[in-house]
Amino acid sequence: MSCLDCSCILRTPVESIRPEELSQSSIHECLADSDLDWIPPSTGRNETEFCSSNVSHYELQLEIGRRFNNLTSVYLARHTPTGMQVAVRITDLENCSEEHLKALQNEVVLSHFFQHPNVMTLWTVFTAGSWLWVISPFMAYGSARHLLNTYFPEGMSEALIGNILFGAIRGLNYMHQNGYIHRNIKASHILISGDGLVSLSGLNNLYSLVNNGQKSKVVYDFPQFSTSVLPWLSPELLRQDLSGYNMKSDIYSVGITACELANGYVPFQDMPRTQMLLQKLKGPTYCPWDINTFPCGESRMKNSRSGVDSGIGESMTRTMTSERLQIPFSKTFSPAFYNLVELCLQQDPEKRPSARSLLSHTFFKQIKEQTQNSLLSLLPPPIQNNRSEFLAVPSTAVGTKLGHITANQDDTDWEF
Amino acid sequence: MLTQTTRNGEKYIGGGNAKLAGLEGFMWVTRRGAGTVHQQLMGKWPLGKKDVSQIFNNILRRQIGTRSPTVEYISAHPHILFMLLKGYESPNIALRCGIMLRECIRHEPLAKIILFSEQFRDFFKYVEMSTFDIASDAFATFKDLLTRHKLLVAEFLEQNYDAIFEDYEKLLHSENYVTKRQSLKLLGELILDRHNFAIMTKYISKPENLKLMMNLLRDKSPNIQFEAFHVFKVFVASPNKTQPIVEILLKNQPKLIEFLSNFQKERTDDEQFTDEKNYLIKQIRDLKKPTA
Repeated sequence: MSCLDCSCILRTPVESIRPEELSQSSIHECLADSDLDWIPPSTGRNETEFCSSNVSHYELQLEIGRRFNNLTSVYLARHTPTGMQVAVRITDLENCSEEHLKALQNEVVLSHFFQHPNVMTLWTVFTAGSWLWVISPFMAYGSARHLLNTYFPEGMSEALIGNILFGAIRGLNYMHQNGYIHRNIKASHILISGDGLVSLSGLNNLYSLVNNGQKSKVVYDFPQFSTSVLPWLSPELLRQDLSGYNMKSDIYSVGITACELANGYVPFQDMPRTQMLLQKLKGPTYCPWDINTFPCGESRMKNSRSGVDSGIGESMTRTMTSERLQIPFSKTFSPAFYNLVELCLQQDPEKRPSARSLLSHTFFKQIKEQTQNSLLSLLPPPIQNNRSEFLAVPSTAVGTKLGHITANQDDTDWEF
Repeated sequence: MLTQTTRNGEKYIGGGNAKLAGLEGFMWVTRRGAGTVHQQLMGKWPLGKKDVSQIFNNILRRQIGTRSPTVEYISAHPHILFMLLKGYESPNIALRCGIMLRECIRHEPLAKIILFSEQFRDFFKYVEMSTFDIASDAFATFKDLLTRHKLLVAEFLEQNYDAIFEDYEKLLHSENYVTKRQSLKLLGELILDRHNFAIMTKYISKPENLKLMMNLLRDKSPNIQFEAFHVFKVFVASPNKTQPIVEILLKNQPKLIEFLSNFQKERTDDEQFTDEKNYLIKQIRDLKKPTA
């Protein structure tokens, strides 16, 4: 039984259609011809030769963000021996509970198993005192959330959304094929490199469907550190009932993320959590806002009234209206985009498309024919050129941080 | 029966009934043009690492009635286990080997082979490695070995007490913050497990262990202090303290009372901790020099 279940996971990578996966398996194939000792396929590991695990080899330049409930600071840094720009995530483990520590360990261990261009790789992980340093490639455009905040406060163009989502869903498809649920999909976890490569990050809530050699069909586990990701999570995950949830939960998050990219707003931003849950369970379905949504908003508002009972629905529509009134909606979205979002946000998880079938959705048709450069053409130059928006980090910051834990002042010694 | 040869002369561990789903994995190996799973593990063949561990874990779970043929096979060929263990020394395969090793450890006979082997002591080296992820994985395996099969572990620790605790003490002195913190926590779990009662009794009879814990109570890291507290409390709470233990506690009686009164006061939300602290203070205050 379990063997049958597993065999489908085993096989999928081999049967890949995507070119980049083919190129990976071809490494195995060409080596199969020679009888030489096995050389591992190139992985993030090989970079370790370039990225030393020595604190003094990194010169922190700017703090570019916070993650993991603010426990981790992300810096742009220069790896001095090579001059390469890298991203460094620094966490003081002393502030981390046992559960946080476990989650961090889980993340770094798992991320070594993923080798996909659209999934974030970690180059080196080491500790210095109680500080955990995680070195990864520097993504010059930051996250899609960062792009929204900086350049597109009213939402991105459809072409840009398409490019970003396509990369993210490719990464997600890879994870799903390997039996993992991401559980943390949102714009701030989709990173874009200086050469336009989209990669999926935020691996600290991953859940493996394969446990103890057996693949489970449903999951009941509630992600541990998920307060910040609640707006993106699917109704079935939030509901925590006996039917559980599965990979399709991620597809719902993709739908919400699509809206986030389109609207510029963090979804359900000003809504109390319970109200958000009610809306997710009872509708109206969250959607991208464009010129048609608002002027004809009358009909939509009626829908929402009929969909939600009591005052909750009304107050919800009111907040949405006031937001909309301030935004001049001049853009329109194609029916294909609306259709994509609708498919992803369906109540019944089984009706939602899989990540793989999403990739062949009409919305992505054009993107597939394009190259990475097309994404770059839609974006202003990456942040290296306008660094001034960030506060520079004095390089001494690391030193002071490392000395953060001071010895107990009280110096009476025990007598033995 | 466990080794099968195909027409091409390729051998497979496992095998057995062709109707069994496990064959899926084997045929797939053939399609890739690879050799035996055995050779895969030796790193001689170019099959993907992840695939190897999935096939391995799969055949390990195979059962024929109540028999687990793969477990029997590995028991008869324990070098497979030591090969996996050695994997921690090769960064490229370490984490995959860790997965397979932990799958093996689920089976008591295989856990027993590793625990009672010379190579077990290599874990003390692996958990201190500078690569955070490999050290973390090695620690997870180490912890699994020492906690999964309670009776086996108790027997193992009793038989090898001196050697193991000599090595274990080095972990508690480790320069590596994570190693130190996690091994101290695991020590607390081990000696508080009722299966390990005999080991606990032995551990808390030794004054050098008490000294170590008292020093760790004053470690610069509050997390380490806290874990040390959970070992220290056993020394104090034990009704049968040995003479040297009582002497140390008496020698430091006022200092300990003062120290514990101010110890991690900010941890107010943990009621059990506060209760335990008060209990220890009372115990230490009531300590009297034995009249005998």
